[in-house]
Amino acid sequence: MGCLVFKSGERFKRCWQTILAGAPMADINAAIKAKMVQRKWAAMGVLFLVALIFPIAPGVESWMASEATLIIMYIMAAQGVSILTGYTGLVTVGHGGFLAVGAYASALSTKYLGTDLITGIIVGAAMSAFVGWVLGLVFLRLSGAFMAIGTLGFAFFVGTVVNNVPIFEGREGISLPKNHVIGFEIGDIGFYYTALATLGLTTLFVSLLVRSGVGRAFMALRDSEKAAEASGVNRVFYRTLAFSLSAAVTGVAGVLFAHYVNYVSSEVFADIWYSVDFLVATVVGGSAVLLGPFVGGLFVAFLPTFIELFVDQPGDLAFIIKGGALIFVLIAAPAGVVVGLVQLFRWLRGKLGGDTQ
Amino acid sequence: MTSHLRCDEVTVRFGGVVACNKISLDVEEGKVIGLIGPNGAGKTTLFNVLSRFQDCDDGHVYYRDQQIDAKNTHDMIDLGMARTFQNINLFAEQTTLENILIGAHHLIGNPFSNMLWLPSARRNERELTDRAVEIAEMLNLGDELDNPVKNLPYGHQKRVEMARALAAKPEMILLDEPVAGCNDEETAELKEIVKRINTELGITIFLVEHDMAMVMTVCDYIYVINFGANLAQGTPSEIQSNRDVIKAYLGEDDE
Repeated sequence: MGCLVFKSGERFKRCWQTILAGAPMADINAAIKAKMVQRKWAAMGVLFLVALIFPIAPGVESWMASEATLIIMYIMAAQGVSILTGYTGLVTVGHGGFLAVGAYASALSTKYLGTDLITGIIVGAAMSAFVGWVLGLVFLRLSGAFMAIGTLGFAFFVGTVVNNVPIFEGREGISLPKNHVIGFEIGDIGFYYTALATLGLTTLFVSLLVRSGVGRAFMALRDSEKAAEASGVNRVFYRTLAFSLSAAVTGVAGVLFAHYVNYVSSEVFADIWYSVDFLVATVVGGSAVLLGPFVGGLFVAFLPTFIELFVDQPGDLAFIIKGGALIFVLIAAPAGVVVGLVQLFRWLRGKLGGDTQ
Repeated sequence: MTSHLRCDEVTVRFGGVVACNKISLDVEEGKVIGLIGPNGAGKTTLFNVLSRFQDCDDGHVYYRDQQIDAKNTHDMIDLGMARTFQNINLFAEQTTLENILIGAHHLIGNPFSNMLWLPSARRNERELTDRAVEIAEMLNLGDELDNPVKNLPYGHQKRVEMARALAAKPEMILLDEPVAGCNDEETAELKEIVKRINTELGITIFLVEHDMAMVMTVCDYIYVINFGANLAQGTPSEIQSNRDVIKAYLGEDDE
């Protein structure tokens, strides 16, 4: 990682030198891009630093740390969706299903094998990745709206299975013991830090993935399947791989969710609205940018609490606002809020720069 | 003469229409071979059969005497065969560099170590990037590396397509109408590039093209097809004076 950051820094310095020497437009574009990359990592660093000291800061009550844990899980789930929908171009309305797969895999392993949270995360990720792989093969020929409907069907399928197959204990649910990490019992704050560390890892993973040759293959399939295949991209393998990795990341969010409430039941995990929420979070924030799921996840997860601070009887107000935000973003900034804001900022700067001359 | 790509009596039917009727041709290694024919002659269909974008109903295709008509499309690159598209088929939102790098996809090694940027993958990725930059410079795209290709002029985009094909380290490139829609200046530039790819890199070229001036000056040998069947074959000068070819293009004389 360090090497990568250093490399872009080098390039950045070189670009500024070329600008000072009166460089052509392409070099200036490259310099702006390099600067953006630096800003992105700076923003990410600040965000993690704030998140790190947040629960022990004065004036922060314990419910706030709990709320923050929920937001972290939403961000992670949206990261999973962004791999498939943002980078590979396959719209999914069924990632709530993978949330459930991860949650139940870890819950069953905790109940019957007595595993701790870390093992649970690994088991949940592996199980989700496997189910994602199989689903990717099943949906090999679907795309566009058909893919959306297919994945929606998958979420319903998972809901039906956990409701009816005895081992999942349906509406009764499975209660989980207190959370342990390598032998130590952890409370709310400990759980928050575990979730935060996991989010750090998934963020690192996604950022490495999308810059790699594999990420390039995903985006190639998104932009033109024909040209991708002509360039030697194995469509079957990379589509299934995208499904699998996407499912694994969302599955880990599911594991955290299960251990966060210490309980899994069909009432919680057969809920189709998770799938919709994750898609909204990904699209609103920006599905093909690293910061997108952060903005979108924060928005979707925090909105209900935020409304309750001001309105006594919120009812379905959160749903209405989410729907409105989705429509607004799709019209005003189809690439998501993050990209929209960057474009707005550049436009404003261009205006101001023009005025001063 | 060594055969690089060969097809034997290839037949393709679309319902009742016979697009290719027992077409045979042979692409000699290290040469520039052209395929021409009037509109609707079956050029594109044959091109797609050779690049494995289209199955043939009858006949066989051989790459270096290895039968390939049952192979996957994405396996062609591993054999050493790359192609371009007539209607530019680039990844519009991505930069020139990223587009060229996709061409080198089959060289990324193990996908799992690649996506985690393990040391070997990091080294490999740096080599691929260096090579992509080299190719871009060879095709006069050095200034556009960080520019999204949708911002590039048409002639530049055509060259990005070629750069992407070259990034695969191919032994043979199939060009589908490389100068279609280009102005004179762009055509001249692309012609020069095709020649350089052939002579400097020793890559065999097979091209389908409508621009006769381009075909006659660039190709070493030309195949002509009409109504889905072989019509003539020969050197450019032979083709230019071939009565059947003139008839096919200009129509029958009434006398």
